[in-house]
Amino acid sequence: MRDAPGQPLLDVTELRAWYGDSQALHGVTFNVYQGEVVTLLGRNGAGKSTTLKSVMSIVSRRTGSIRHQGTECLALTSDAIARRGIAYCPEERGIYSSLTVEENLLLPPVIAPGGMSVEEIYTLFPNLRERRSGQGTKLSGGEQQMLAIGRILRTGAKLLLLDEPTEGLAPVLVEQIGAVIATLKQRGFTILLVEQNAHFAAGLADRHYVVEDGRVVDMIARADLAASGARLAAYLGV
Amino acid sequence: MIEILTNWMDLLPPAPALFGQLLVGLINGSFYAVLSLGLAVIFGLLNIVNFTHGAQYMLGGLAAYALFTYAGIGYWPALLLAPLLVGASGIVMERLFLRHLYRLDHLYGMLLTFGVTLVIEGLVRFQYGSTGSPYPVPASLSGAWDLGFMFMPIYRGWVVVAALVVCLGTWFVIEKTKLGAYLRAATENPKLTRAFGINVPRMVMLTYGFGVALAALAGVMAAPIYQINANMGSEIIIVVFAVVVIGGMGSIKGAIVSGFMLGLAEGMTKVFYPEASTTVVFIIMAIVLLVRPAGLFGAVTLTAAPEAETHATGRALVAPATLRLLVIGALLCGAILPLLVYPVFLMKVLCFAIFACAFNLLMGFSGLLSFGHAAFYGGASYFAAYAMKAWGFDPLGAVLGGGLLAGVLGVAFGHLAIRRQGIYFAMITLALAQMVYFFAVQAEFTGNDEGIQAVPRGVLLGVVNLANPLAMYYFVFACFVASFAAIARIIDSPFGQVLKGIRDNEARAISLGYETGRYKLIAFVLSAAFSGIAGALDALVFQLASLTNVHWTMSGHALLMTILGGVGTLTGPVVGAIIVAGMENYLAQLGAWVAVIHGCVFIVCVMMFRAGIVGEISAWFVRRHAMGSNLYPLQAAEPRIVVSGPAARER
Amino acid sequence: MTAFVLEAVGLSREFGGFYAVNDVSIGIEQGRIHALIGPNGAGKTTVFNLLTKFLAPTAGRIVYKGQDITRLRPAAVACLGLVRSFQISAVFPHLSVRDNVRLGLQRALGTSFHFWRRGRSLDRLNDRAESLIASVGLQAFMGETAGQLPYGHRRALELATTLALDPEVLLLDEPTSGLGREDIGRITELIRGLAGERTILMVEHNLSVVAALSHRITVMARGRVLVEGSYAEVSANLEVRAAYMGSTNA
Repeated sequence: MRDAPGQPLLDVTELRAWYGDSQALHGVTFNVYQGEVVTLLGRNGAGKSTTLKSVMSIVSRRTGSIRHQGTECLALTSDAIARRGIAYCPEERGIYSSLTVEENLLLPPVIAPGGMSVEEIYTLFPNLRERRSGQGTKLSGGEQQMLAIGRILRTGAKLLLLDEPTEGLAPVLVEQIGAVIATLKQRGFTILLVEQNAHFAAGLADRHYVVEDGRVVDMIARADLAASGARLAAYLGV
Repeated sequence: MIEILTNWMDLLPPAPALFGQLLVGLINGSFYAVLSLGLAVIFGLLNIVNFTHGAQYMLGGLAAYALFTYAGIGYWPALLLAPLLVGASGIVMERLFLRHLYRLDHLYGMLLTFGVTLVIEGLVRFQYGSTGSPYPVPASLSGAWDLGFMFMPIYRGWVVVAALVVCLGTWFVIEKTKLGAYLRAATENPKLTRAFGINVPRMVMLTYGFGVALAALAGVMAAPIYQINANMGSEIIIVVFAVVVIGGMGSIKGAIVSGFMLGLAEGMTKVFYPEASTTVVFIIMAIVLLVRPAGLFGAVTLTAAPEAETHATGRALVAPATLRLLVIGALLCGAILPLLVYPVFLMKVLCFAIFACAFNLLMGFSGLLSFGHAAFYGGASYFAAYAMKAWGFDPLGAVLGGGLLAGVLGVAFGHLAIRRQGIYFAMITLALAQMVYFFAVQAEFTGNDEGIQAVPRGVLLGVVNLANPLAMYYFVFACFVASFAAIARIIDSPFGQVLKGIRDNEARAISLGYETGRYKLIAFVLSAAFSGIAGALDALVFQLASLTNVHWTMSGHALLMTILGGVGTLTGPVVGAIIVAGMENYLAQLGAWVAVIHGCVFIVCVMMFRAGIVGEISAWFVRRHAMGSNLYPLQAAEPRIVVSGPAARER
Repeated sequence: MTAFVLEAVGLSREFGGFYAVNDVSIGIEQGRIHALIGPNGAGKTTVFNLLTKFLAPTAGRIVYKGQDITRLRPAAVACLGLVRSFQISAVFPHLSVRDNVRLGLQRALGTSFHFWRRGRSLDRLNDRAESLIASVGLQAFMGETAGQLPYGHRRALELATTLALDPEVLLLDEPTSGLGREDIGRITELIRGLAGERTILMVEHNLSVVAALSHRITVMARGRVLVEGSYAEVSANLEVRAAYMGSTNA
């Protein structure tokens, strides 16, 4: 997919970001093409989550360039970015404890036609239907993750940023989340995935970027993955 | 058996009185509920304790009055129009001021709204005076129902029902609707909610407007019951703060239930022990704080600390020799000044200066913002005045006794207030001080509205007759020098070092093994004691102890002087005292405008000069001189006024 | 039984129905560097807050040098010689570097409540403060205001302040987070130098730091202890690879 024609859907160059005065990103460059699943791999604290937050404009200070469909987005506020059709699923899921499951699901406003219906989402995640009137944070970790993914599918956004959707989940659930992501790709969603779990990512992604110390240090395409196993293991400190 | 029962029944007041007071309680409770609901909604989303809430309640009543008087618009349209107008003014206020304070500590929001309150009340007092303006009960609701055991004025019944409907309606919208879900989500996690494409800043603005409109609605409903006057808002808002502390901040249900409950409790107290009816809410608050510090409906919330504002650390760089010269110069100045300036004015400046320095010891060096220092200042003035007049104390004894009394009061206040932090601390101290105020209003010996007048200044140690203004001046000056030196020493002491550490980072101070609560309590008591010395001197200087000294505006004075001069600087409060006393003195003929000007100064300081005059000047010096080598840092200029709780960040 | 200087048994902490830490038992041996690792959200920092009493456990027991400290207050624990650092650098930003460290030294003098005493009475701590500051390489910044130091220096200062308490057990929460490469190296060496007379428990993400320093490693996942052992044992454990590094067949 790397050589897909035209401009990338998301094109990030030399992105730097700060938390207060501690610099978290030191120049991140990568791109995502329409229909791809791309992962950001790396150790804890390497800057993967910060990269997603920076794309969403949740970080206080950023420099560099973030282009979405060719338009520069660096100056936009996070609600404006969301309305461009970029949906964000945060690390630790971000389920609201003061909202019911269904309220959580219906919270993100629809920004474009073509999103999935609530029925479709319930079909994808049957557990959520059963527990729709319960408190959002009373769900199990896996159910919370499904809710966190489910709620951004309704809005009509076509580019999904998923931050460690397998974090803290049992292997069975990790597999389930993997199946969901594969389904979403089939449905035409473009997905930027942050992962620590390289094994999980390997089965899903078209391309992998390796993030280290706030920089993208390598890119491995799916086809080269088998050959680059040792390289990847070194990056991840295994 | 029946006999016993009737005997017991005899102890009860007659039924009409009982039910009458219960109704009054229920009505007060209705207003408490609507007002604390508005406060809770605003606090939830904006994290701001809206001090202006009372003034906005008053504005609602006033708008109804003005609509009626100038445009002939009656009650029912006013019930809609007045909240809309006042709510719109709230939106303007949010855009102009509050919006710029969100990234700062919550206390700045409270300070700003405090300043706005002074401005609004001052303007209203200027336009309408302090006496109330009556507002007619609408014709459709006049008259009363005979309920058999009592007569129930229809309008009062309507107020209770309307308040209930408004409260339940608001609760329903917040808890059960889509709009409410947005609101709850934005309250819980504003950043994420915004990243879902919801325009959170606009919601914040509209929510503030709504909360303000609720206050105004209560004001319109109150208009036919109470006289509309400039002070009606600040009187009720302090009680509402206590209600909020009791109910638990941020709980919608808590605000409603405790509002009605406390109104009823007040009504009941009026029946059985009328003397305590004005203070009962504060007493309940004290008990709740002892038993359940988070409030009846509140959970212990761990709010994340806001991003600390980074200031260039200012340092007035003064060499030790220069410092010595400056001190000698200041002493000489103080000795010569009464020959040039009216001594009573100078004494007022000095009393205020001690008060402000004492306040700054707490705010600037311990990071605790008290809104209740008037209790120490005023309480000690009453003590000194009474001791001089009735017991013939030596003036020095009266001053020290005033300090001691204030210190004891400080132990009691501090013990309760230190259980909570930040804005809660401010609200609790304010409520406790109001209790002292009501006590002063009711007690016999305080002379009520007249105060204790013609207080003799006495003969100092049996030698110096203080009736001589110059002798009195030098006595006050000596007290000031001693207090200032003592406070400077406290700040410099090992204890002061720990205080500064707690102010900077309380969790870290705990992890170094400091029981921070104990340090804060001692700082609070010391600050109270020096405030007492200032208040006692005030009573001697003016030969009067009056309600002014114990009123909450006096706490506002302490705050204003400290912020204006420079929080956390040594000399800032003195500069602030000179300016504030000067304004009071030379602008006195402007009457209500003084409060307006005070309020404007507050707003300007909070919005633009948070380091205060001395702080800004020393920052400027630092910028000019860059780094000195063998120089002596006289004072650090940084307005750090809060500490975040331990374990504020989890996981 | 081995002489654990700090031991937790069956520690649990619940937040509104969710167990952030579930039945965790961990023992720290005298003089060792013990690392607590695990993926995000595994409950490491919660364990930390529990051990230092910044959070109260829902269940379980904490024993320090044979004394049950489960019910003690955080400041009291610090006085016993069990001192923590924070994930976000914790200095006193408006105090000078020297005053930061002196605040750590000062408690031992027993004059901290003396509000009448001269500040200069603390000057006798200066030598000790300066040597501690020098030991973390900050001697050039003695009079600087702590808040204006670069991030890496602030972390070093925090360590110096912690050492000023002469703690027997240090709990370091991600001591290298947010640091550049050269700073990481410096802090790593500092920590290594501390072991022996002092005991260290640290939460750390940087596995090369963990590998270089730790005598023993406890891996947590989903609020529980997954495995405990040396670096070799832990990194050979398949379950750990699955949960933590996620590369069973990489």
